[in-house]
Order: sequence, then structure tokens, then C-alpha cells
Amino acid sequence: MDVGLLSQYIMNGLMLGMMYTLVAVGFTLFFGVLDIIKFSHGDVLTVGAFTGLATYIGLRSVGVSSTPLLLLAVLVVAILAMAALGMLIARYLVLPLRSAPALNTLLITLMLGTVLREMVRLFYPQGANPKPFPALLPTDSINLGQFNLRLDNAMMLATGVAIIVGLRLLLNRTKLGLAIRAVAQDEETARTMGINFTAVVLITFAIGSALAAIGGVMNGLYYNEINFGMGLLLGVIGFSAAIIGGLGNIYGAILGGFLFAALQTLGAVALPFASAYKDVFAFTVVIALMAWRPTGLIQEKISERV
Amino acid sequence: MSRIVRQLGLFFATALFVGALVVTAQAKDKVKVGFIGPLTGGVSVNGIGGRNSAELAVKLRNADAKATYEYELVVLDDECKPNVAVQVATKMAADKEIIAGATHYCSATAIATVDIYHKFGFPIIVWGAVLSDITYRNKYAEVHRVNGTMIDQNDVNAELISKLGFKTVAVIHDTTDYGKGHNAYFSKSLAKLGGKIVGTFGVTSDQQDFTAELTQVKALNPEVIYFGGLTPIGVRIRSQMDKLGIKAVFDGTSGIVSDAFIQGLGPLAEGALAFREGASTEKLPGGKFFLEKYAAQKYDNPPEAYGAFSYAAMDLILDSIEKVGPDRKKVIAELANVKDRDSIIGKITFDDHGQNTVALITKYVVQDAKFVEWEDSEYASGKRKLPGQK
Amino acid sequence: MPEVMQEPQAPLLPGVVAVAFSTAYLIALLAVEMQPLVIGLLAFGIVAVLAAHYMDWLDPVSRSFAEREGVLSAYAILAACVVAAFFHDNHFVLLLFVTVLLYAVATLGLNIEFGYAGVLNFAGASFFGIGAYTSAVLNTYTAVPHLLVLLIGGTLAALIGSLLLLPVLRTRGHYAALVTIAFALLLKTFLEVNDVLGGPQGMQVKGMSILGWSFNDNFEIGRIEMSFYLNYFVISMLLLCSTFVLVRRLERSWIGLNLDAIRLDETAASCFGLDIARWKITAFVLGNFVIGLAGALFGMVGGFVAPNNYTFADSLIMVSILLLGGIGNPWGVVVATFIVLVLPEKLQTIQEYRFLLYALIVIVVLLFRPEGLLPRPVRRYFPRGRA
Repeated sequence: MDVGLLSQYIMNGLMLGMMYTLVAVGFTLFFGVLDIIKFSHGDVLTVGAFTGLATYIGLRSVGVSSTPLLLLAVLVVAILAMAALGMLIARYLVLPLRSAPALNTLLITLMLGTVLREMVRLFYPQGANPKPFPALLPTDSINLGQFNLRLDNAMMLATGVAIIVGLRLLLNRTKLGLAIRAVAQDEETARTMGINFTAVVLITFAIGSALAAIGGVMNGLYYNEINFGMGLLLGVIGFSAAIIGGLGNIYGAILGGFLFAALQTLGAVALPFASAYKDVFAFTVVIALMAWRPTGLIQEKISERV
Repeated sequence: MSRIVRQLGLFFATALFVGALVVTAQAKDKVKVGFIGPLTGGVSVNGIGGRNSAELAVKLRNADAKATYEYELVVLDDECKPNVAVQVATKMAADKEIIAGATHYCSATAIATVDIYHKFGFPIIVWGAVLSDITYRNKYAEVHRVNGTMIDQNDVNAELISKLGFKTVAVIHDTTDYGKGHNAYFSKSLAKLGGKIVGTFGVTSDQQDFTAELTQVKALNPEVIYFGGLTPIGVRIRSQMDKLGIKAVFDGTSGIVSDAFIQGLGPLAEGALAFREGASTEKLPGGKFFLEKYAAQKYDNPPEAYGAFSYAAMDLILDSIEKVGPDRKKVIAELANVKDRDSIIGKITFDDHGQNTVALITKYVVQDAKFVEWEDSEYASGKRKLPGQK
Repeated sequence: MPEVMQEPQAPLLPGVVAVAFSTAYLIALLAVEMQPLVIGLLAFGIVAVLAAHYMDWLDPVSRSFAEREGVLSAYAILAACVVAAFFHDNHFVLLLFVTVLLYAVATLGLNIEFGYAGVLNFAGASFFGIGAYTSAVLNTYTAVPHLLVLLIGGTLAALIGSLLLLPVLRTRGHYAALVTIAFALLLKTFLEVNDVLGGPQGMQVKGMSILGWSFNDNFEIGRIEMSFYLNYFVISMLLLCSTFVLVRRLERSWIGLNLDAIRLDETAASCFGLDIARWKITAFVLGNFVIGLAGALFGMVGGFVAPNNYTFADSLIMVSILLLGGIGNPWGVVVATFIVLVLPEKLQTIQEYRFLLYALIVIVVLLFRPEGLLPRPVRRYFPRGRA
């Protein structure tokens, strides 16, 4: 296969993997801290993307036209809004249900995701239609034979890497990160050590939701379009990625995200007659992986009180 | 215990009484006609335009003192999805009070529902779907259509491409019967004129990511990319073509003749080709009349490409009911005899399959964010050139 | 041996009255078309139920249902026939009714998996779809008798479900949820891209015909014309009754006891020597068989199958029905199916908002009344009168 063509496929895979990783890391953070799966994460991504779009439209209508400023504003508003939303969800829906059976929490967050999605569809003007997302990054491209390297893709990839590295630094080198890891390991002991459990949980949710907002805006910039259903598939893929990698483990989430993207790209290359089969292929591999390693590739160490 | 029994008895009786009252109150004098179109989803502007046009026809008829009946329009949304269309079609056809309907913009939905209309004996006139199988697969007396089929459209398309000197074409089509139909007819027409199809790709109608297909298309290096599908994925394919640096002509069908296509792409829409049966609305025989009356109603949406056809279809239905009365079987018999009937879109004649012949195909090119007729455009005169045009 | 005092059996009357009232209400609700009347009727219904609750009338009803179930079930079947007879020539109402019956059957299958054995299955609509596609393919390409087609549909759903057995058995909790969710998405995409099965356009399904009696033609009794949907009503009613009996018998048998034990505490159950894998497999396969059976019949009723009918969102609707009605209670399932499917049809204004409303209702139910509308009664270990 032509090197240029191969590089194009690899680039596509990297972009997808980056977006999945952002969602998967969110899932893994929530699970680590509270032992719950917040299924509405994908739909938080959608709301983030729409918030960004609304900000853009609002700013344009008052005459702001400087692209870097618009981009900054879109990102900042989306991040702050989603962080707030994440904290609200944690405070009112997740924390009170900590003692309920895990199944109930799973179902509630699943339904919450539906609520968020439907609210975007119904209450955003013409929400059911796909909406064009502005191209806020420079669209120049360098043509290397078959491979078309676009500046905006490269920038988004770099940003994604920076975010993940930043997150790792946060978790491993700061006091907040220490608190998060302590709560993830053992809630009771962390409390006795003086860590404010509720505050840590809220902040974790805020971080995770902010990551989702960035993922949503990135998705919009990459496809130049957002629609109300984008979060559902991304959420499930992010969840699968987090699980493949092993819940509670950041490296696992990253591994899972890029692995899933690699599976999809492989499927697209190997089955050229219908690229939609790539999803079938990827999900089949996920199910097979679950059968082989029920708790993910990087095994979660579970202990149960009997 | 007896007090409880009495109270329960009262509840029971009230419920039955209310039920009986309401059921008898159903029998009324109005005549109901139906409209089905995609009111939500990616192609909703066309559906809403069609609905407004049908509503306009009913309003004008109700305002007409010479009309024998008072008409009520029942509107249902098929969401451009075959399964939803089947449900709403069953609902409309099963309701004995609705006499006839103007149905469907999306071919995928129209082809799924023809059997239902036949099963329930419900006369319909299609106003926007172009798949030829809708009228020609079976000989159903209930099914008619006022707009043209996709065969002629694709003939003219292939002709223009060949005339402009393009020889290699890659086909991307959606996997509904609509896209598959376009693919079949276009491939045939192009082969007859000596053009070469370098690759054919089927995509789902709600697909997000086309980088896989487009990367392969890029490797094949065609001069033209023919797109057989509707606006939502047309917008995505065109913008992702640009992302991958593919410089080919974007050649679409009647599915992209919509303002939403231009709005979705902005400057990227420039130079896209499209084709449609029938003249542009202003150039139709009754076009000016229709546009005037439409504007007077101050609707939020424009009539879009097929609004005039929807109006003509509804008008024809109302005429038939006026003539033979609100009876489904009589309306079917009456519609079988439509020959050279005057309407805003010209003379309507239904052949033995209920199909109206629309001879004229309009060629469009997007110029400066508007669909301009090819002959009037600067591309035809040579002032602007399509990508790769010599 | 000392004589054990027999408690008098609960009176039949409250149950019968409840059935009669519900039937009248249902007929009124289905007949009414005008929106203000529908809203009025619904408000009346909610007020009536709340009033009955406050006046403690609901307790006698639930007791008589619990103890005189056989007789009351017969009355319920009679009531359903009365409703069908009332609407004998109204195609759409009968179609709605048949849809409710078949969805109830499918959700009962889901109940076996979820409510009794605790096996998470978020792909209920996918197995429903497998049944429907089976009847589409078999009716179009072969001449297999249609009753056999129903059984094959169920079997195929069970077989395909058993492909998921290994991951389902080995995983717990969230991981198990992922397996069925991934399968739901996978199946829908597969059906959409696969041209052989009609792709996104779907397939037409020929109507049922048994021994030459075509189910798709209107028929007449005397001079009264009956809608052809009455044919399907009869067979759906038979299917619902047999499934209901099956579920009830299952619950009360030792199989049901085993399933409950596994659901409540797997570790303790395995300590007692119960083979977890065997019972989970039984529940999963049996549940999928029932769902597939209902799906096969529904394919023939609707006459059309398409991948868009069997998405993950539709599976979530089935799960909401189960939760709303009360996990583990078959009566709850039937009532909840009516509410979830009939309400949006009648209340046109909320048609668009129905997914939002379902999700909100489920959240509220889970927060405040996790047992559902009709909670499952506590298991009775000793039959009446014996110590």
C-alpha cells in the first residue's frame, strides 16, 4: 500500500482515537472515584458541543469576528458550562444514590443521558437537524503525495496529547491528584485522612465533564458538524474503550481509546466494500475481548465483601 | 360495602357514558384529506415546504365559495425513515375518514408504503419522491405521482458530464432504494455515453465519517464524484472531500436541491452540480400564482424544490373529491382518468401506472451561494470553470 | 395433629370491579380522538387512582388478585375480548392493541432474564428484531408454515443470544451491561449495511395464513365486517396467555426459586450448590426465545421490518416498561406496556416528547419508588392452609 495512503489512514485513526480517549478517560475517572458508570457522559459531550455552537452564534451576532478569540470563547464557555453540569449531576443524582444497588445508578445515568439528548433535540432551535460547526482552526493543508496533512488536525492532535499529559501531571504531581487517587483507592481511609470526599468527587466530575466538552468541540471542528445523536455512539465507544483498558486506570483508558480506533480503521481498510462494517467488526472484537478478559486488558483488582 | 359499590358503579357508568358520547360525536360533515412528509430530521425543510404548500391548497379551496365540502388537512410526519413511514401510513390509511393523501418526499419511505396504501385501498398522489419503482414496480390503482422519475434526471446528468469532457467518475450513493436507484440509472446512462465508473461506494444515510470511503476515492483519482443521496450526507461528503484535499467535481441529484445544502457548506458549495425534473418554480405555468399566494400566507419556510408539486397534488385530490364525493373507491376511479388536466405545474396526465410525465429536466449549478440554472450560469459561458474542466 | 386455622380467602369482588372499571376506561380512552377529551380522561384516571389509594381501596384489589388469580385472569381475558369486539372494525385501534399485547410478551421474556435471574439484557429490541427478520425471510423465500415460522423465530433469537453467553456469564455488573449494549449497536449496524436482509430499506413481510385462512383479509360474521387485525388479536392473545402462564408457573416453581437465589446473592447461591452458569443460561435462552417468538409474530402483523425499528433506544423502552411496571411482576408488565405504548398515540401533543418523558418517568420511579407501579409481592413459601 502506498505510504501516503497508509499515513492518511493512520492519521484518521489517531484523530478518532484521540476523541475516544477523551471520553474514555472521563468514564474511568468517574469509576475510579465513585465506582459508578455515568452513562450520560457521551451526552454531556453533545451538550458541550451545542453550548460551544450557541456561544459562537451569540458572539458572532454581537459582531465579534476574530477567529482565535471566538475559538477561545467557545472552548472556555463549553468547558465551564460542562464542568458545572457535571458537578450538578454528581451532587444531585449520583452522590445521593451511592447506597442504592449499582443497577439503579446505571439505569438512572442511562436515562439521564436520554434526557440530555432529547432536551437538545427538542429545545435547541431545530435541534433534530445536523448543525454546521464553524471552522475555527486554520484550514491550510500540506500535501505529501497521497497524504493530506491538515493543520487543524495536527493542532487538535497536539492539543489532545497535551491534555492527556496535563491530566497525568495533575494526578501524579499535585495534591489534588493525590486526593483523587486516595479516594479512588479507599474512600473511608481517605476521609479519615482529612480529605473532603464530596469536594473531591465534585471536582473529579468537573474535570471529566470538561474533558467531554473539549471532546465535543473537537468533534465539531473535525467534522464541521454536530447533531444531537453524536453523544450516544461516542459514549458507548468511550465506555467500551474504558472497559477494554480496565476501569479505573487512566493508561487503560488511553490504550482502550486508541485500540478501538485502530480496530475501526483496520475494519475500514480490510472491508473496503462497506465501511459501515467497521463498527460491526470493532464491537465484535470488544465482545470477544470481554469474554476473554472479563475485567479489561489491564486487570482491575476487585475485592468483594461476601 | 354498598356505598363503595354504588360509587364504583357511578364511576363505571360515567366512563361508559363519556365513551359513548364521544364515539357518536365522531360522525361529522367535514372531509378529511391527508399529507405525509418529513417534518423532522435532516430533510425537514423540504417536508415543511411541501406541507405548507398542501395547506395552502386546502385553505384556498375552503375560501372558495363554490366548493361543495369543507376540507381538513391531517398532517403526519414520516421522518424520512421507512419504518416510521409505514406506521404513519398505516395510521392514515386505516382511518376511514381520510379520503386521500399527498404523500412522501423521501423515496425510501414512498417505496416502503405503496403496499399499505394498496392494502387499505387509500388513494395517494406522490409529490416529491423520484424512485421509479414507486409507480412502476406494481400496478396499483391507488398510487399516482405528479413529479417525474429519476430515469430522465440521470440521463441528462450523464450527458452533461460527458459533454464537459469528464471521463472518470466515482459513485457514492446511500444504501436506501433511493440511492441504489440513482446508482443503477446513472451507471447505465454513463456507460452508454462511454464514461468510466472507477469505483462505487455505498454509505448509510446517517453516516458521519466518510474518511474511509473518501481516502479510497482519492487513490482512484476521479474527475467527478457522483453523489446519489440526500442533503445531510451530501453536506458531510463535500466538506470531508475538502478536508482530504480531493479536487473533483461534486455532481449531485435532486436530493441536494435544497437551501440547506448551501447553508451547510457555505463557500464549499460553489460549483456543485444538481438536476431536477420540472422547471424552477418561477418558470412553471402557475408558478407566479403559487409563489404569490404562498408569500401572502407568511410561512416561516420557503416552498423549496417540490412545494409546487405538493400543491398540485393536493389540488388534484380536492378536485376529484369535489367531482365524485368523499368516497375512496370513486376517487381512485376518477384519478385513473386524469388526462391533460391543467395545474400550476402544467398539464397532468397519469399513465396506466399512475405516473405523470414531466419531460423537462433542469440543470443546476451552485454559483455564489445560489442554485442557478446551468444555461444561465457563468460556468456554461466559460467565465468560471469547474474543478478539472478544460 | 392440631387443626390449622384457615384464613378466609380474599373476596373476588374488588378484583372483578377493578377489571370492569379498567375495561370501561380503556374503551373510552381508545375511542376518544379529540385532544381536550383525552387529557380530561387521563386526568380523571390519575385522580381516580390516587383517590382509590387514599381511600385504601387498592389493598383489597391487590389481595384478591394475589389469591384469586386464576379466576381474575379469566375475567381479564374476557375484558380484552370485550375491548376487541367493541373496536371490531377500527383497524388502527386493533393494531395498537395487538402491538401492546406483543410488546407485553416480549417484556415478559425480558422479565425472566432481568427480573428473575438478574441477567442484564440491554438488547431486548435486537432479539425482537431477529424474530421479526426471521419471519420476513422465511415468509418471502420459503413455504414454511407460519406457526412453525414463529417457533423458528424464537429459536433463532435464542441461538444468537447464546453466542453472547460466554461474555455474559464471565462478566458482572457494568461489564455485563456493555456486552449487551455492544450487541444491540452491532446488530443494528449489521442489519443496516447488509443488503441481503434489505438494508436500511427493510423488508416486506407477508401476512400470516394458517391452513388457508389468510390473516390479512377482512372477514365478516353475519353482516358485520370485522377488521383483519382481529385474526392477529386472537393469536396474540393466545401467545400472551401462554407466556403469562409460563412466567407464573416458572416463578412459583423450584426453577424460579433458583433464579431468585442467583439474582439476590450469587456467592451465597453457589455456596449452596446451585450451578450459577446453568441457571443463567436457562433464563437467558428462555427469555430470548420468548422475545424472538413475539418478534416473529409482530413482523407479520406489521408487514414490514427495518433496522430502525430495533435500535438501542427501543431496547431502553423495553427496560423502562419493565422498571415502570415493577420488576418481576407480570401484571405490572402488562399495565406498564399499555401506559407506555398507548399514551403517546393518544396524546398527539406529547408524541415528540415521548422519549424524554419515558426517561424522566424512569428516573423518578428509580429515585422514589424503585419497586415500580405494581411491586412484586413477597414470595409465598407455603400454600394456603398448610403449615
